[in-house]
Amino acid sequence: MADKDKVYECLNPVGNQEPVDTYPLAPRLDKLEGKTIHMSICGEADIWVPLEKNFKMEYPDVNWTVKKRFHIVPLELTQEERKTTDAVILGVCW
Amino acid sequence: MPYLADLEKSGIPTVIINYAEETGKVKHDRTLFGFPELRYVEADRKSPGGVTEADRLMQPVLDALTKPLTAAEKKSGKWAPEQPRILFEGTLPEAEKFYNQTKKIPGILNAPFSVYTDGLPVVIPTDERVKEMLTGTSHKPDELITLQRDGQQRGFGAVEGGYTQKKGDVVKFMPMYRTATVEQVAVNAVMAGCRPEYFPVVLAMAESGGGTGDGRGGGGAFVVSGPIYKEIGMNVTNFIWGPGNPANKTLGRVGSLFWRNLGGYEETVTTITTLGSPVTNGGLIFAEYAEGLPMGWKGLNEELGFKKNESVLMTFRAGAWGVGQQNAPGVYRSLQRTGHGAIARYLDVKGIVGPHNYLEYLTKDIWATMEGGFTLVFPPQIAQDMYDYGFKTKQAIYEWIWKRSFEPVKQFRMRGNQDFVTNGWLGIEKTSGKHWKELSDDYMVPAGGDDPFGSYNILVINMQETACARFGGGGHSQAFSIDAWR
Repeated sequence: MADKDKVYECLNPVGNQEPVDTYPLAPRLDKLEGKTIHMSICGEADIWVPLEKNFKMEYPDVNWTVKKRFHIVPLELTQEERKTTDAVILGVCW
Repeated sequence: MPYLADLEKSGIPTVIINYAEETGKVKHDRTLFGFPELRYVEADRKSPGGVTEADRLMQPVLDALTKPLTAAEKKSGKWAPEQPRILFEGTLPEAEKFYNQTKKIPGILNAPFSVYTDGLPVVIPTDERVKEMLTGTSHKPDELITLQRDGQQRGFGAVEGGYTQKKGDVVKFMPMYRTATVEQVAVNAVMAGCRPEYFPVVLAMAESGGGTGDGRGGGGAFVVSGPIYKEIGMNVTNFIWGPGNPANKTLGRVGSLFWRNLGGYEETVTTITTLGSPVTNGGLIFAEYAEGLPMGWKGLNEELGFKKNESVLMTFRAGAWGVGQQNAPGVYRSLQRTGHGAIARYLDVKGIVGPHNYLEYLTKDIWATMEGGFTLVFPPQIAQDMYDYGFKTKQAIYEWIWKRSFEPVKQFRMRGNQDFVTNGWLGIEKTSGKHWKELSDDYMVPAGGDDPFGSYNILVINMQETACARFGGGGHSQAFSIDAWR
């Protein structure tokens, strides 16, 4: 057999992907009134300044909470804060 | 994304607002973190922003929190992609075609994107070649790449945080959080064209995360310090970033292959970047020539807590080349030998024989259009001149440069990265320990990084010509022992 016809086993350069269990989403809110909705702001003040203002103005019956950080890793709610938080909006991206 | 996944898991509904071109990455990450249907709303980078964009986003965001779940969103399951050890069987010409295949990615206007390579042809990783590569280490082929010692991984720039790692921690290659065995690293080393004697360096690169960063690593940049440069023939003399030296070239390339193959980088699909870097494109690695250091200056290995005879690897984030002043090498010589020429005029030492403080010229206005630290690569003569001038340690230079970067807060406010650096001016200024908002306009703060050692670095190479190189992205970070991978 000529060298050009020799068959080689060639190995895989791709890393190992650990299996991931996938989950259903958390149930959605049945209504907005009286709920505590947290705004996790991590940039893009151009959008967030008016958005935060609009949310608070148009939905005064919602208890809006906010944490701001100019970073790709958002400031997280503490376990204690989670107990009283009904939903979270995070953005812009990250 | 891990934060949102954790919230969803604990029963709190979430929504993420992302820019439209980031949707591919968001979709990918939600699977990676166990919530393949996590809701998102697209903002538009091309919108005028402000009230218009806020008005447009409000309802979709609230809908995402209130609209009942679909059947798909209620499903659970498992995502378990598998990769075979033997990827291809065939002749070498067939294998070349297979390994060099490309795919079209809509996010980059269907430009071809290599499936297994950095875009250049590769050496085909036959079983025999990989076995030969594995003779370069005593570690077993099926051993997972783990940290060989405790360490503090450094954050890069304003947007990537640092973190602590423990010996034995499994290294995750980004952006897909994958792991790798010694053999998988060897496959990539073969593909890059490395020789078995380079393999301990390649494994140390892998231990460092392989230049994959937080997923936008670009293949990274690496410095080698210690005697191994001689053993494997790294060029530490002229043109260290030029063609011709197999070790510098092929080792530099490994980072890009790690990012693509171990980390799973796929532009706009698994991560989204901006321009990349002409500095690291193609791979950047070089070695220090510690023999050229002035007496009293430590090599990088010693600066990072290792012994002179130990070989280590450090990663860094190389930014733009050429920050600072330009000068012909002869102008430098004229400065130090006779006190003539442009730099002598600038320093007002005309006719006075050196040593003079060349750094004063080199760092003039250096932070005018950039922030943070940088790396200087000196030939032995410039290092010796700086020593003779009075910098008896490298640290003395780091401190001198850093102090020179101070400027009033009112000037600092006009810099482009300050939302990140100051956390939107809500954070603490590090040199004073005070809130940014408490500082007066004329309070002096550093534009050149948080601290001298973390922001600056000097490396000496073997070169007679009195030219130096400078690139943004400096300082010292965790070192990885190359010897641990022999």
